[in-house]
Amino acid sequence: MSGVGPVEPGEGTHAWDAPDAGRTTAAGVGPTGPADAVDAVDAVAPTPAARLFHGLVRHRGAHRRAVSAALAAAFLLAGGGYLWATRPHEAQQAAPAPPFPSQVVDVSYLGEAAVPPDAPPRTFAFDMVLGVESGPPVTVTRLTQPYAGLSLTSAPRAPFRTKAGSVRKVVITMRVTECGKVPKNAGLPFLDVTLRNARAIQAHSFILGSRYAHDLSEAVQVACSNESGHHQNT
Amino acid sequence: MNELPQQLVNGLLLGSMYGLVAIGYTMVYGIVQLINFAHGEIFMTGAFGALSVYLWVLPNGTTMWIALPLMLIGAILVAVLVAIGAERFAYRPLRGAPRLAPLITAIGLSLALQQAVWAWYPEATSARTFPQIEGGPFHLGDVTIQTGDIFLLAAAPISMAVLAYFVMKTRTGRGMQATAQDPDTAKLMGVNTDRIIVIAFALGAVFAAIGGVAYGLKYGQIDYRMGFILGLKAFTAAVLGGIGNIYGAMIGGVVLGIAETLATAYIADIPGMDKFGSQSWADVWAFVLLILVLLFRPQGLLGERVADRA
Amino acid sequence: MRQRSLIAITAALSAGALTLTACGSRDSDDKGSDSGGTTVTIGIDAPLTGDLSALGLGIKNSVDLAAKTANKQKYVDGVTFKIEALDDQAQPSSGQQNATKLVADKSVLGVVGPLNSSVAESMQKVFDDAKLVEVSPANTNPALTQGTDWANSKKRVYNSYFRTATTDAIQGPFAAQYLINDAKKKKVFVIDDKKTYGAGLAGTFTEEFKKLGGTVAGTEHINPDSKDFSAIATKVKNSGADVVYYGGEYPQAGPLSKQIKAAGAKIPVVGGDGIYSADFIKLAGATATGDLATSVGAPVEELASAKEFVANYKTEGYKEAYEAYGGYSYDSAWAIIEAVKKVVDDNDGKLPDDARAKVTAAMQNVSFDGVTGKVSFDEFGDATNKQLTVYAVENGAWKPVKSGTYSG
Repeated sequence: MSGVGPVEPGEGTHAWDAPDAGRTTAAGVGPTGPADAVDAVDAVAPTPAARLFHGLVRHRGAHRRAVSAALAAAFLLAGGGYLWATRPHEAQQAAPAPPFPSQVVDVSYLGEAAVPPDAPPRTFAFDMVLGVESGPPVTVTRLTQPYAGLSLTSAPRAPFRTKAGSVRKVVITMRVTECGKVPKNAGLPFLDVTLRNARAIQAHSFILGSRYAHDLSEAVQVACSNESGHHQNT
Repeated sequence: MNELPQQLVNGLLLGSMYGLVAIGYTMVYGIVQLINFAHGEIFMTGAFGALSVYLWVLPNGTTMWIALPLMLIGAILVAVLVAIGAERFAYRPLRGAPRLAPLITAIGLSLALQQAVWAWYPEATSARTFPQIEGGPFHLGDVTIQTGDIFLLAAAPISMAVLAYFVMKTRTGRGMQATAQDPDTAKLMGVNTDRIIVIAFALGAVFAAIGGVAYGLKYGQIDYRMGFILGLKAFTAAVLGGIGNIYGAMIGGVVLGIAETLATAYIADIPGMDKFGSQSWADVWAFVLLILVLLFRPQGLLGERVADRA
Repeated sequence: MRQRSLIAITAALSAGALTLTACGSRDSDDKGSDSGGTTVTIGIDAPLTGDLSALGLGIKNSVDLAAKTANKQKYVDGVTFKIEALDDQAQPSSGQQNATKLVADKSVLGVVGPLNSSVAESMQKVFDDAKLVEVSPANTNPALTQGTDWANSKKRVYNSYFRTATTDAIQGPFAAQYLINDAKKKKVFVIDDKKTYGAGLAGTFTEEFKKLGGTVAGTEHINPDSKDFSAIATKVKNSGADVVYYGGEYPQAGPLSKQIKAAGAKIPVVGGDGIYSADFIKLAGATATGDLATSVGAPVEELASAKEFVANYKTEGYKEAYEAYGGYSYDSAWAIIEAVKKVVDDNDGKLPDDARAKVTAAMQNVSFDGVTGKVSFDEFGDATNKQLTVYAVENGAWKPVKSGTYSG
């Protein structure tokens, strides 16, 4: 089938010729009818039934216009209904809800950062970049890492808010509180971030990749290899 | 905690199931010297027969205490019908043909039955869940036994006892023994060998059906391929026990089941063998055992009772 | 005489059996023969019958939906898409035959599939030699894109292979991190099915679990043909493990979970995307509550695009659920459609003669918002969008418990 497909006669409409509407070939249809409405009918209904109908109408001049108009209206309704029923589904969601925060936030790892000189021992820091792609502003309400022997602070301190389209640098400072409880060479360390926007509050993990894994485990090893060790960045 | 008793029970359960199916192989072989490779599928159709009764015959939510006997009857009916049909339409026309012909037919029939269930049984393209008996597991010291396994634990010895009585004491049973020894002479003595063969197929199907229900209760699911591997194992068990011998089938099954289970459980603990110890190697060890047994006793564990006429 | 009848019967029987087998594999829907333009076939290779058919049929239906959507929208001018679905029964040998068949059909410009990493291994070279692009919605073995030595030096082997799924290199460790940090598990019993996918996943998991300070109470390899795991279940119980990790797929994982719990070990069974299926819960029964699975992608309800996919899938009235890889399959097919569109647009609205090579080249730069988020590929052919979610069985359904994004 193509174009306007077969239309089932709707209740009470009795569009007799509708099932054949698809076969329309505009050529060779035209019995002489002055009214535009009749031409319109002809254009979509060249079937024997339509011709019969057409003939009938011609004999009853008085009703002709009214009937043709009704018929045209029925076709419009049927055709419109069909188009509506088979409309592309994108049309359905005119006003999408705002996206979930985890779907628009991107956190990536930049590199090691300098530790302030007055920081306690066994402290190290990393630079991250947090960006929001679209949707309403996103607030980071919590920023942690999962290991027991490690404490984390961030600058800016959570909560902080980031607008769509903008990025923000975040410095993560970690301190080893207990060497025995920190994995020395985790392959896939991540940050647990709680995100909030107009849609939802979500706890999401950002796995920062192998470079972060490498830098983190190196920092942990340096911090724990020497009890008074103070990891200095060069 | 000592693991051995539990592992022995695991093996016993698995082996009893092999044994129930192996009886069918061994009886048919004993009487017509046919390895009925479609027997695994008869086991499978039995399980589906039981499920059908549960799904479409019984009202929803029937308790298993009422449902189980009816499901068992359904399973036996379906399996026996399939087995008799197979005998009548696939094997009987080929009786007298070279041995390869019924063997190939059996393999074809096995595939056809699998695919028929796959194609026509509702939602059988993947595994279907099987109704379970309510009630928690039972503990006997270190051993835990599931409710579903109790059926198997009871059914296997009862079936064996009934079968032994039937074969030894009844007229038909003696006719079977006679046919197994020498079909031509048995015929001359007035034994209706056609009937005896049909009965052998039917009896094998009865035990396969009981095994099928036990499988469903034990694993909670059945699928159209369940009979294939299990059928091969059961055939192995029949050979291990001495094909043609009904006690051998059950003993072979239990030995095979325990061997597989112990291989899974303990081989890996032997120093230097950890690579060969997992369940994926259990079949290898089971067949090593089979080869060893056949090297020293080519007729199988209990094989001497039936003389090899091959 | 006798010989002849034997042959005849054998032939008849095998023919019968083969015909029945073939029931599952004649699924090439081609209804799109209107509008004079070119017809482009999107091949599909997945297990459409057998244990894994739930996942495979979900893949097939989702690709079909993508093709229908593209046709309806007239997304590529003058090109009508149709699908050709072949059944690999999760067997590498069938996969390779299917690959050869798809290569021989000149109208095929892209293939979605397969489901299994082991099958993919047998297909990659066939497609690469023909420069026919292959996008897998489900393969997670890292070696497929990054070479067998991926852990040390990544090297792309086949330029025509892409995937929308996240690799085990991330999935396994993610599960390990979750179990140690969130679920506070310490002692794992690792089981796999020895297949490319299962063993690979169990490997990446175990490595990370040990690095994080966990211990391995035991390892075991199951026989995928068996349904009796009682011996293993007893071992698991006596090992004192507080969690079981299973590398493999749901047809075995379901009974395994059931039997482990029946043996008296009330500990969760954890697996990868291969067990993330409604069928797992069906097979594992009521005791599956608390079992965990990591799966690729964000939960469907978090993505507006996924919701639309779910709605359209329902509208089309497919008999089978879209399962774990539906969204990825749709995106894989749509990536092929995007690549074809690019090639056609660059060539004045016609397909060039070397369409396959051009489509493969265009695939590298494809980028669009798909069902599962942004779809694009990195230099190895891996998806750049690497989201993962941990799901738990709760009241007989999978519920998301934790999501993560990989940006490495």
